[in-house]
Amino acid sequence: MRRRRSALAAFVLTLAATITMPRHAVAGTTAEEASLTGAQLFAAKCGMCHRAGGMGTGLLARRPNGGTGLLEERGDLQSAFVIAVVRNGTGNMPRIARGEVTDSQLSRIAAYLAREPLR
Amino acid sequence: MRLHLPPGMSAAQLDRALKAMGQIVGDDYVFATDLDRDTYLDHFAVNAEAHAPSGAIAPATAEEVAAVVRAANAHKLPLWPISRGKNFGYGGSAPRLRGSVVLDLSRMKKIEFDAENGTALVEPGVGFYDLYDYVQQRQLPYWLSVPGNSWGSVVGNALDRGVGYTTYGDHTSKICGMEVVLPNGEFLRTGMGAMTGSNTWQLYRYGFGPSWDQMFVQSNFGVVTKMGLWLMPAPEQMISLAMELDQPDDLGWVVDLVAPMRRDGLVQQSPSIGSWLRGAAVLTTRKEWYDKPGALPDDVIAAIRKRFNIGWWSIDLRLYGYEEINEATVRVIQKQFARRTQQPFTIVRTTTGEKPDSTPFSGVPSTFPLQNAAWHGGRGGHVGYSPVLPATGSLALAQFKRTYDRYREFGMDYHGSFAMGERSITNVNQILFNKDDADMMSRVDRMFRALVADATAQRYGEYRTHIDYMDLVAATYDFNEHALRRANERIKDALDPNGIIAPGKSGIWPKRYRGERA
Repeated sequence: MRRRRSALAAFVLTLAATITMPRHAVAGTTAEEASLTGAQLFAAKCGMCHRAGGMGTGLLARRPNGGTGLLEERGDLQSAFVIAVVRNGTGNMPRIARGEVTDSQLSRIAAYLAREPLR
Repeated sequence: MRLHLPPGMSAAQLDRALKAMGQIVGDDYVFATDLDRDTYLDHFAVNAEAHAPSGAIAPATAEEVAAVVRAANAHKLPLWPISRGKNFGYGGSAPRLRGSVVLDLSRMKKIEFDAENGTALVEPGVGFYDLYDYVQQRQLPYWLSVPGNSWGSVVGNALDRGVGYTTYGDHTSKICGMEVVLPNGEFLRTGMGAMTGSNTWQLYRYGFGPSWDQMFVQSNFGVVTKMGLWLMPAPEQMISLAMELDQPDDLGWVVDLVAPMRRDGLVQQSPSIGSWLRGAAVLTTRKEWYDKPGALPDDVIAAIRKRFNIGWWSIDLRLYGYEEINEATVRVIQKQFARRTQQPFTIVRTTTGEKPDSTPFSGVPSTFPLQNAAWHGGRGGHVGYSPVLPATGSLALAQFKRTYDRYREFGMDYHGSFAMGERSITNVNQILFNKDDADMMSRVDRMFRALVADATAQRYGEYRTHIDYMDLVAATYDFNEHALRRANERIKDALDPNGIIAPGKSGIWPKRYRGERA
C-alpha cells in the first residue's frame, strides 16, 4: 500500500534531482588545472555549491530579488567583488584559501562571472 | 587576524621555518599573509581566534609532504594536516593548537581506480565531487557513499569516521590500505601495502601481524597521503521505505523494531530517525516561523510539521541490491512494523539504469544540507554533540528526553537524530546558531558542556567532536585513570618526539605541548 510522500521529502528529492550532474569538472592534478578556463574552473571549484541544487544557490535564491540564485546567470557581478567574497567569505560561505584556489585561478573565475576579459 | 605564533617560537624562527618550506613546495605555496591566515580560520567557530593558524603550506605530492615533515622536525614547527578543510562543525581547516601551520593537502588530487574490484586509491585532496565525476565520466558500475556535506575530502571524511547514506556509509570501515608519512618523514604502507609491489593492497585489509589503519584515524600519528577504499557495486535496485511518526515517544518502539534488523543484517544501511527540524532548517529560516527568543513552542512545531507533512520523527529505511531480495526484505520489514503500527510505509523504488536518482541516497554528492546553518540568520553555523548509546528503545527515549530538556533550558531549537548502527546508536544533536548573537553563542558553549556531562553520567561517549571540545571529550574516556590517553601519548612521544604533527588532535598532546591541554 502506498501513501503520499511527505511534501518535505518530495521537495528535497526534487531539489536534488535538479542538480546537473556530473559537473564534468576536471578532477585532475593542480598541473592540469593550470590550463583551465574560468568557466571550467568555476565548475571544478565552485560548482558544488553554486550550480543548481547547491548550498550557495539555494541561499542566494532566498534573498530579495535573488532569482534562481545561480551566479552564472547574473549580470551584475564585478571581478573585484567576486575575489573579495571568495577570500573573505560572506554569510554561510566560508573563506576559500589560496591552497584550494590560487590567485591566478580566482582571477579567471572572477573574470568569467563578471563577463570581463582577463587582465 | 594578527599573527599568533606557535608556543615557544619567535617570529624570526617561524619566518626561517616557512622559508625552508618554500624551498620544498615553492614560495607560491607558502601562505602567511594576514588574509591567508584568515582563510584557514574555522568558519563555524565560537571563538575563531582560539584556533588561529600562523600560516599554511600546500605541497603537491607525497614526496613533498615527507620533505615538509622532515623540515618541520628541524625547525620544531607544529603542523596541522587538513585534506580539504571542509570538516564544518568540527573545526573546518583550523588547528587545535593556535599558531600551528596548516598543512593543506587539497592540491593532492590523484585517483587510481581498480574497475574490476571496485577499489579506489585516492590522495587527500580528492573531494567526493571529484571521485563522483571520475566514476561517471568512465561509466564505472560503482556508487559512492557520500556525507550530507559532500564538499569535503573522501580521505578526510573517512579519517574522521564520517558517515554516508548507503550500505557503505560507515566510511572508515571501507578503508583498505594507506600510505602514511610518519612524523619522522618516513613512508609507511599499511596492510598488504607493506609488501613492495603488492597487488592486493586494496583487496585485503590486514596484511600480516598488527594492522594499523585505525591507528591513523582520528589521530596525530602520521600524515595520510594515500588511502584505499572499497566502493559499492551499483545495485540493481534501491528501495526507500519512509514513515512519519507522530509522537516523540514513538522513538522507543521504532528503535526496538529496527535494532534486530540491523543486528541480523536485514537492513544493511544505517537508518536515521530524525526530528522535524532536520528538513525545515534546510528549506526555511526561523524568522518565517517565530520571532521570539527561546526554544520553538509546540504550536510552531505543529505548524512546521503541517506545512511539510512530516512527523515529530521521520525514518527512512533503504535497501540496496537485487530486486527479488529487496522485495522479499520489504515484506519482512512490513510484517515487523505491523506489530506496532497500521501506518503504511511510503515506498519508492529506483532501478539502476531505468530511472535516474540524483540524491545522496544513491551516492550523488550534495551540499544543500549545509543550508541549515542559515536557520537563525546572521552568520550561521552549527556544532554537533553525538554520543553513542546501546540500540535499546527505552535508553534512546531517555537520552532524547534528557537532551530535549537541555535544548529548552538553554532556549535552543531541538535538532536531533538517532542513527541505527549494527549494535549501537549514534545520537547526533545538531546545535544550530547565529555567530552574531553573543548571548546565543554563550548558551551554545554552556549547553554543549551540559550535554557532555549528561551523557557521561550515563557512560555514553562521543564518537567525533569539534576542536574546541577534544580535550573535554577525551577526558570522558577515563577507564583506569585515562589509560587510553596515557597510552596514546606514549605512542605519540615515541613516534613524534618533537610533537610536530597535529598537537592536541583528539586530546592527544605530545610532551612538548602537553601544558596546552584544556
